[in-house]
Amino acid sequence: MNVVIAFVTGLTTGGLSCLAVQGGLLASSLAAQLEQDVQQQRQPRTRRAAAAGASKPGMAAPILLFLAAKLAAYTLLGFLLGLAGSVVQLDSTGRAVLQFAIGIFMIGNALRMLNVHPVFRYFAFEPPKMLTRYLRRKAKRDTGWMTPLVLGALTVLIPCGVTQSMMALAVATGDPFSGAAVLFAFTLGASPVFFAVAYFATRLGSRLERSFNRLVAVTVLVLGFVAIETGLNLMGSPYSISALTRSLTSAPAVTAEAAPDGVQVLSIDVKNYGYMPEVLVAAAGSPVRLELNTWNTRSCSRAFTIPALKVEKLLPATGTVVIEIPPQPAGSVLQFSCSMGMYGGVIRFN
Amino acid sequence: MTRKIFQVADMNCPACAMRLEAIEDELPGIHRIDASYHRQEMVVEFDEAQVSLAQILQAVEQKGYHLLEKET
Repeated sequence: MNVVIAFVTGLTTGGLSCLAVQGGLLASSLAAQLEQDVQQQRQPRTRRAAAAGASKPGMAAPILLFLAAKLAAYTLLGFLLGLAGSVVQLDSTGRAVLQFAIGIFMIGNALRMLNVHPVFRYFAFEPPKMLTRYLRRKAKRDTGWMTPLVLGALTVLIPCGVTQSMMALAVATGDPFSGAAVLFAFTLGASPVFFAVAYFATRLGSRLERSFNRLVAVTVLVLGFVAIETGLNLMGSPYSISALTRSLTSAPAVTAEAAPDGVQVLSIDVKNYGYMPEVLVAAAGSPVRLELNTWNTRSCSRAFTIPALKVEKLLPATGTVVIEIPPQPAGSVLQFSCSMGMYGGVIRFN
Repeated sequence: MTRKIFQVADMNCPACAMRLEAIEDELPGIHRIDASYHRQEMVVEFDEAQVSLAQILQAVEQKGYHLLEKET
């Protein structure tokens, strides 16, 4: 994934479908900020504000320092996690399992925030008392610009539950720079909201905070289901929502053309927003030549996978890549998707 | 040294526990506060000669939480 794309992803909540994963992380981070960082930041700040006669302008600088240090620390963490992910290369099944774990984590955290049952409280990680006590005393002892810097960097040691699922995603990239970019984007994207909440914390009434929390919870819940859906697509499961809707709606299926050498030819246009066509039909029992065409394609649809056949191809931005599919039995269905499980389609064999 | 256990039903995240524990540095005479979000409770060890229970309750309420005494 491109660093620039990751950067933009962090800033927006992810209107484009390929940004759904990062969008989830951004929304999750809102919950994280509300739950942990704001509270930590609030302590030294209110004290300082009280000492300075509650002057507002002085608040911005420590928050900014805090955010800058946090950003640097998480970027480094992302690099290390991506490095770890590159050592243990994950195939699409491994990524699917990781997506399931992320999804379960998010759903559990959302149910916790909605206070559905006490058992969901265990989805939130309670940092060791020794660590929180140390951080608190450090904040109290030191004054000046060093404190927010150090505290910002140390937030890396006490990530909340949802931040941890974000870290899992950095591992899933399997590349140190992509991992760093993901966490950088996540932290940066969360920063403006964090800044606003921290800055206006004293004015934000508890009722408003509660309804905001609820909104975040519902968003995290939805994105948890998106993560599970992504995992199902990565496994090539016919039970994902997109696969089910594909089988229900009678999308115009494109049938294979026979080439002179007896091989069937299927062609897919790989667009930024998905695959055209999504449903293809071929005759069973004879090989298929699958042509994948890209024209200036930049999205993750370029990372083409057929989980059942263990096919994983990174397509060029512009060009044609041919995948030879061996003869398949009648009635079988091959699911294909991008490596992140966002876009997909099927080939049916009759 | 007095030790009291309270139920805190309105903790909604681990940070609330940290917020409550911060009281141990803010009031004199408090030896230790252990708050748990998972168990929704707060254990306070304090010296009654230096700080009263009412003062502790007030400090907690200022942070927006309500205590329910479980046992002594």
